[in-house]
Amino acid sequence: MVFDDIYKTYWNKVFRICMGYVNDHDWAKDIAQETFVTIWQQLPKFRGEAAIGTWIFRIASNNCLRQIERQNRMQRTEMPEQIAEHIEPDREPQVQFLYKCIAELPETDRLIISLELEDVKQAEIAKIVGLSETNIRVKVYRIKERLAKKFENYER
Amino acid sequence: MSAEVDFKALWNKEEAKDMPDTKELLKKADRLRKITRFKLIAQTLVLLATVVVLLFVGFRIDHEQVTTMIGLVLMIIAIVSYLVVANQILPMLFKSNVEGTSQEYLNQLIRIKRKNEFINKVMINVYFSLLSLGLLFYSLQFVARMSTAWATFYYVMVFGWMAFSWFVSRPRGIKRKQKPLNDMIERLEAVNKQLREQ
Repeated sequence: MVFDDIYKTYWNKVFRICMGYVNDHDWAKDIAQETFVTIWQQLPKFRGEAAIGTWIFRIASNNCLRQIERQNRMQRTEMPEQIAEHIEPDREPQVQFLYKCIAELPETDRLIISLELEDVKQAEIAKIVGLSETNIRVKVYRIKERLAKKFENYER
Repeated sequence: MSAEVDFKALWNKEEAKDMPDTKELLKKADRLRKITRFKLIAQTLVLLATVVVLLFVGFRIDHEQVTTMIGLVLMIIAIVSYLVVANQILPMLFKSNVEGTSQEYLNQLIRIKRKNEFINKVMINVYFSLLSLGLLFYSLQFVARMSTAWATFYYVMVFGWMAFSWFVSRPRGIKRKQKPLNDMIERLEAVNKQLREQ
């Protein structure tokens, strides 16, 4: 697969995963761009040991996790609350609420649910995160339950 | 409508409307590479200039005693080793591989931070020891020419400075570097723990 095709196919997917992680449009775009720069650099060395999607999502997830370093430096740990006050008129409120809820989850849960919502198979998520498939299934179930509860309260 | 379908539909509504052009993206990658290369060249030049200046000073003075030269060499080693470790070896050792699983990546980051913490501590100790020792050797020749009163005064000043750097500056330097590293390790371990929780 050539880089241009990968870029077109995966840009929005990678962006959404980053968005689920940080819930900040510009920041998510930065992480997505960093991810594609890495993909571009590493693509010639890619041997196909994993599916290309798994490989791309691994790089994206790890780039998200790397934001812990940045967060630490910038003291942005209060991120989700700050963003909640920031209203973006061109985004549907329900969509905004979903991304806000996801970004408030523990870091690894954010990645797991983002990948699940991106329609990545649970066996693949297991390979991306490094947990067993059973573990992922349990985690996905619990996260969805949590999100459903939040939405119940939101809609009331 | 089930909750799952609902979430997926909502999730997919989010889009980065302005996808950067491929050329723009690759230009960014290239710029980053150039900056890194430039930094490396600049750091190497600073390193070389420092050595040249010290060597120049070393050959200009008349070193009747071998201790003066030993002192000078020790000081050069202190500065050069500090610069080499900080600018060349550390970035090389601490390159991370983003292609592994999240768990591997987190463990790798924690390992890197721990190594960083250790090397910082060791390097600061080595730097201070070599510099102090170098200064002591270096000054022996000049102190020998002084009167006893001046020599005593000189030693009091030198040892005072050494004690100050060893007991005040060094721990402060270590602490200043360790604090953000420790906070970082703590955060990474907390995230890593999330994966172990059922």
